[in-house]
Amino acid sequence: MSGLEELLQSKVLVATTDGRIFVGTLRGFDQMCNIILEHTVEREFNAQRGVVIVALGLYIIKGENIAVVGSVDPEIDESMDLSQIMCDPLPKIAV
Amino acid sequence: MADVAAAPGHAEAVSTKVDVPLDLIKLSLDERILVKMRGDRELRGRLHAYDQHLNMILSDVEETVTTVEIDEETFEEMVKVQLSYTHKLFLTI
Amino acid sequence: MLFYSFFKTLVDKEVVVELKNDLCITGTLHSVDQFLNIKLLDISVAEPEKYPHMVSVKTCFIRGSVVRYVRLNPAFVDTELLQDASRREANNIKGAA
Repeated sequence: MSGLEELLQSKVLVATTDGRIFVGTLRGFDQMCNIILEHTVEREFNAQRGVVIVALGLYIIKGENIAVVGSVDPEIDESMDLSQIMCDPLPKIAV
Repeated sequence: MADVAAAPGHAEAVSTKVDVPLDLIKLSLDERILVKMRGDRELRGRLHAYDQHLNMILSDVEETVTTVEIDEETFEEMVKVQLSYTHKLFLTI
Repeated sequence: MLFYSFFKTLVDKEVVVELKNDLCITGTLHSVDQFLNIKLLDISVAEPEKYPHMVSVKTCFIRGSVVRYVRLNPAFVDTELLQDASRREANNIKGAA
């Protein structure tokens, strides 16, 4: 589980097994991959209109629901116009 | 697994004895096998490694994914088989 | 432990990880742990028009449980060694049971 250590205190994007995307600051994690995200927002992808951003605040996500945790490159992320991205959400992962 | 006769200490020699189900997989090492997976997937490939979780390493793998599409006008079911090929593959089950 | 040891030999090599949600992520293997969680550097996602969700991500941690396949370059795999190791591991587990 050393993998998440290097992402601590940085802006991360979390893809969950139900196909949702959360972005926030990684404040903590444990061996089960449970994570704490601060200033969390959800990015709702939608094929009809652009990405909808929903502010959520402080979140704990249980490890079993996590697919990917990625470190966000702020330069690329801030240069993107999310309102122009129209696509379906990621597929769910069957359990 | 109380059968001590298996003499674990000397089990290094090639044993063809099958006393747990996974031993059948051991006998398939270096053979071409068929793996049926979740989600209507099948893999055919040569088995090089496996573990107790059924993680595997296969080579020269042929993957078939079968999907059923329903024609919106005729409501006919169309079975699509998609075939792909990769060299070496590790998979998790 | 076999697969954990095996993946450690692939550190710094390029791999393609296919997830159970059909996402294919190509990147350099940075690290792996005992759960086969994988960390990749310098990633790119296949079919970016269909999957733009992670375009701003360059480094990622993938939970082992969501991995369907890891596609490997055969040049980095010693099949003889793996087969011997598989037999040994099968025997060890039986010995321990």
